[in-house]
Amino acid sequence: MSKTRSAVFFTICILLVIGLFAMNIVMGSTSISVGEIMTILAGKAEGTSASIILNIRLPRAVAALVLGGALALSGYLLQTFFANPIVGPYVLGISSGAKLCVALMMIFVLSRGKHIGLALMIVSAFAGSLIVMAFVLAISVKIKSMGILVVCGIMIGYICSAITDFVVTFADDSNIVNLHNWSLGSLSGIGWKEIRVFTVVILLCLIISLSIIKPMNAYRLGENYARNAGVNIRMLRVVLILVSSLLAACVTAFAGPISFVGIAVPHLVRSSLKTDRAGIVIPASFIGGSIVTLLSDAIARSVFAPTEVSISSVTALLLVPVVIYVMMKRKKDR
Amino acid sequence: MAETGIKTEHLNIGYGSDLIRDICIEGAPGKVVTLIGPNGSGKTTLLRTLTGELKKRGGVVYLNGKDQTEMSAYDIARSMSMVMTEKIKPELMTTREVVEVGRYPYTGKLGILSEEDKAKVQDAMEQTDITALSDSYFAKLSDGQKQRVLLAKAICQEPDVLILDEPTSYLDIRYKIDLLNKIRNIASAKNIAVLMSLHELDIAKKISDIVVAVGDGKVLKIGTPGEVCTESFIRKLYNIEGVESELLGDQYWVSDEGKSDAPLLTENKHSKNPENSRKAKVIMIQGTMSNAGKSLVAAGLCRIFANDGYKVAPFKSQNMALNSYITDEGLEMGRAQVVQAECARVRPVAEMNPILLKPTSAMGSQVIVNGKVVGNMKAMDYFRHKKDYIPEIMKAYEKLADMADIIVVEGAGSPVELNLKDGDIVNMGLAEMIDAPVLLVGDIDRGGIFPQLLGTLDLLTKKERERVKGLVVNKFRGDGKLFESGIKILEDKGMTKVVGVVPYMDLKIDDEDSLSERFTNKTVGEFDIAVIKLRMISNFTDLDTFDQIKEASVRYVEKPSELGNPDLLIIPGSKNTIGDLRELKKSGLFDVIIKKAKEGTVTIGICGGYQMLGETVDDPEGSETGGSETGLGLLPVKTVIGSEKIRTVYGGEIVSATGILEAIKGSPVTGYEIHMGETHPTEELQEFTSGKTGYCKGNVYGTYVHGFFDKKEILQGVVNAVSAANGKSVDTKAAEDYTDRKEVVYDKLAENLRSSLDMEYIYKILGLNK
Repeated sequence: MSKTRSAVFFTICILLVIGLFAMNIVMGSTSISVGEIMTILAGKAEGTSASIILNIRLPRAVAALVLGGALALSGYLLQTFFANPIVGPYVLGISSGAKLCVALMMIFVLSRGKHIGLALMIVSAFAGSLIVMAFVLAISVKIKSMGILVVCGIMIGYICSAITDFVVTFADDSNIVNLHNWSLGSLSGIGWKEIRVFTVVILLCLIISLSIIKPMNAYRLGENYARNAGVNIRMLRVVLILVSSLLAACVTAFAGPISFVGIAVPHLVRSSLKTDRAGIVIPASFIGGSIVTLLSDAIARSVFAPTEVSISSVTALLLVPVVIYVMMKRKKDR
Repeated sequence: MAETGIKTEHLNIGYGSDLIRDICIEGAPGKVVTLIGPNGSGKTTLLRTLTGELKKRGGVVYLNGKDQTEMSAYDIARSMSMVMTEKIKPELMTTREVVEVGRYPYTGKLGILSEEDKAKVQDAMEQTDITALSDSYFAKLSDGQKQRVLLAKAICQEPDVLILDEPTSYLDIRYKIDLLNKIRNIASAKNIAVLMSLHELDIAKKISDIVVAVGDGKVLKIGTPGEVCTESFIRKLYNIEGVESELLGDQYWVSDEGKSDAPLLTENKHSKNPENSRKAKVIMIQGTMSNAGKSLVAAGLCRIFANDGYKVAPFKSQNMALNSYITDEGLEMGRAQVVQAECARVRPVAEMNPILLKPTSAMGSQVIVNGKVVGNMKAMDYFRHKKDYIPEIMKAYEKLADMADIIVVEGAGSPVELNLKDGDIVNMGLAEMIDAPVLLVGDIDRGGIFPQLLGTLDLLTKKERERVKGLVVNKFRGDGKLFESGIKILEDKGMTKVVGVVPYMDLKIDDEDSLSERFTNKTVGEFDIAVIKLRMISNFTDLDTFDQIKEASVRYVEKPSELGNPDLLIIPGSKNTIGDLRELKKSGLFDVIIKKAKEGTVTIGICGGYQMLGETVDDPEGSETGGSETGLGLLPVKTVIGSEKIRTVYGGEIVSATGILEAIKGSPVTGYEIHMGETHPTEELQEFTSGKTGYCKGNVYGTYVHGFFDKKEILQGVVNAVSAANGKSVDTKAAEDYTDRKEVVYDKLAENLRSSLDMEYIYKILGLNK
């Protein structure tokens, strides 16, 4: 890893983030000129256009930025934990677990005629992701094979999605119909209130992650050498599990499951940077996740506009080839 | 307890159930401790327990004197590092990053390395020769490179204890030797306690200071390689008793005889001498005649250099002597170099004396080359062939030169035996081959010091004369100042510096020459010690310590009539207990011993002698002669001779003493055990030496411990008690511990030499600046 390489990488990434962020604000079914947007952003205009920009496009772009980063970071932490580059919150079923719990909680709360609070959303998503995580951990203790771990994760994900589908199908309250869109993954409908909540949680997670870069680096040499470097292994593992689950839960609670960002982005970052130093890969993955999610959301909104495609479908299309490439390359290196 | 290093007390380890119980081992700074044992014996489990990977099942692990369980993870990381067998595959992690992890216990929260940390990483990488791999990805390295990287990581962690699990597995011979040499060097350079497991016995034998053998769920043996890696023990440990195969050989063990505690010279070991990392400096001592005192001067120089921190090896290309020494490897060499090696504090190896001639008749000798007999030769033939041995001599010398900082070479006889000078391989010829500066030693005691030194110089060729860098006047009686005018004459006429005038020293150093004298001594002193002269007597040095007591006489008894009325009757060790018992019965000594003992004479049996004191000696497996023989019946014990030879260093105490020796109860006992049998009491009996190594009843005492009298407490205690009982008064105050005395003699020799020789000048001609 050379310093120039990372400098170039971060410069390009920041430019891409700015560019994509701007594009996501400019682009949309209602055409609003750049000049107009500037006035709106300066707070000097009112009306429908201003409302579209300030209450729909801007929060959506911010959500893509923050949630995308959170997903990629969650994936990186999980990959470190399992010492396995083909895991992520989605393939391990953690996102689906969170989804199921949120769905159940929504139906339960809505059936009593109340509105679900943001905190409750996050808590139930977190609970769901932890339950699945516990399953996955139990399997990983019994079976050391990376492949089987991933297959089990995907199976668990399917089970959770299936149950979610049943629940959604048989609940006929009109509010629950909205659940259907959410359960496929979408950044629409996220408002400033939500953004404020999850940004705080995610930034907290990011800070915690950055505070454990030293034990994470040592952990790359395996549990025993890390212990010999003075790392408290149990503490590190608990932190990795809790933080990655909380990140995945946050994303799922607000945007539904977004596939493959967590697994593919850290890999793309590592291979462009040619290093796996946690101190660099953590911020790089976060930015990388933002870029991919901003781009995917732009595509999801615009390709069949005005109809919106689920963002998960776009990320799958973009990123599954990357995942397959990683798996094939690893096979070759053996 | 050692302040630094690792120590376990009654440690039990295993998964789910105990795999090894009651492990008490210790690793001291700068020492290499090696675990050996068959597959599955628990070596790796033990190491994993020590590193904290596995939970111990009982006992305590002390790290630098602290209980490991009470230390924080970072404290442990700062005291102990490791290289284990598990294969790690960190992706996209460069070699340098891997090594840097070693500094993590010292860095802040974010693991950012300071300049100092970086320098230490660089230093560790240089020491392990991996700087060129700095930016390569660890996962892409070869196994040998990976091991070196992990070693670098472990070193820059600056541990006090380094744990390595099979560090040489998967490595080819070059990497294997390279890695182990590095481990050895680093252990001594950085004073790290190294604890590792090894499958390669041949290497374990050479690299270790201490070998720990595990098997059968326990630690079977701890000791120096010479003590543990004996053929019978290794065969038993790995269950290959009786297995003969071309693939098995001497390299895996040492022959069952011989003992040595001194460290082995190892290649490229850390030396005090930085510019000299490969070849040793050399100095040669030649004499004007036989017995001019070359050996002593060489021995004294060995000790001086060793005391100054150098690694020293003695060397003499050719010895002629009747008595030889058997090294730990089972090779023969001359005794003078053994003494010199002891002075240098290294283990004697055959390379120190590549050619040994043992006269077999007035005309011929047995020729032993590098420790092995090559045949008998007449003097004429040898003289004709001796040039053929130059490659062997040089090979031996080169090997030592790779291992030591300084080689002290001793010449033989006079360098100017003009009729024999052609093809000389012992004096100037050798000096030429190895390019050694020469000190010429003359003996003033025998007179004619001027013709000795000046005449010798005169007879040397001009080239040879230039090699002589200094003259030594040896064995000067009286005040050295009186010879100042003589020095001036020698220096003017010889045009060579006089390096020193060495006073006459009466030092008892090696006993081999006086051995026959001892056996024939029949004089009875004030305190009379009678030793039964067994035909197969072994380890006669057991009684040398009595020399310290002026009034005591040690005489060897062969016939009943010679026994007389001794104060102390000793039955020494035997190489063949049953055979010697039969001899005793034949000679009639058997009955007189019983008679004397029954009269109340203090009777002590050591090893074989102890076995004889008992009721019966059985040899069911035919390890010695086979059969069974009734013993003296003075102690109610029975001995069964087995096939396993017990060879351990002994440290214990007198548990209880009956009869006259009651006063020595509680005294410390040191020594060693070499025996094949086990002796058990047949009735309730007082334990004599601890560890069930001996029993006593009345005035009859038996012990397996050789060197029993070496401790001054025992020597003084026994002599005082016996003389008091016999109404005599013997002065024992001057007695010291025997092994210490030998060291005292060596140190005194070195001290005398240092004060009489111009050491600064000697270091200068060696090419070393002090």
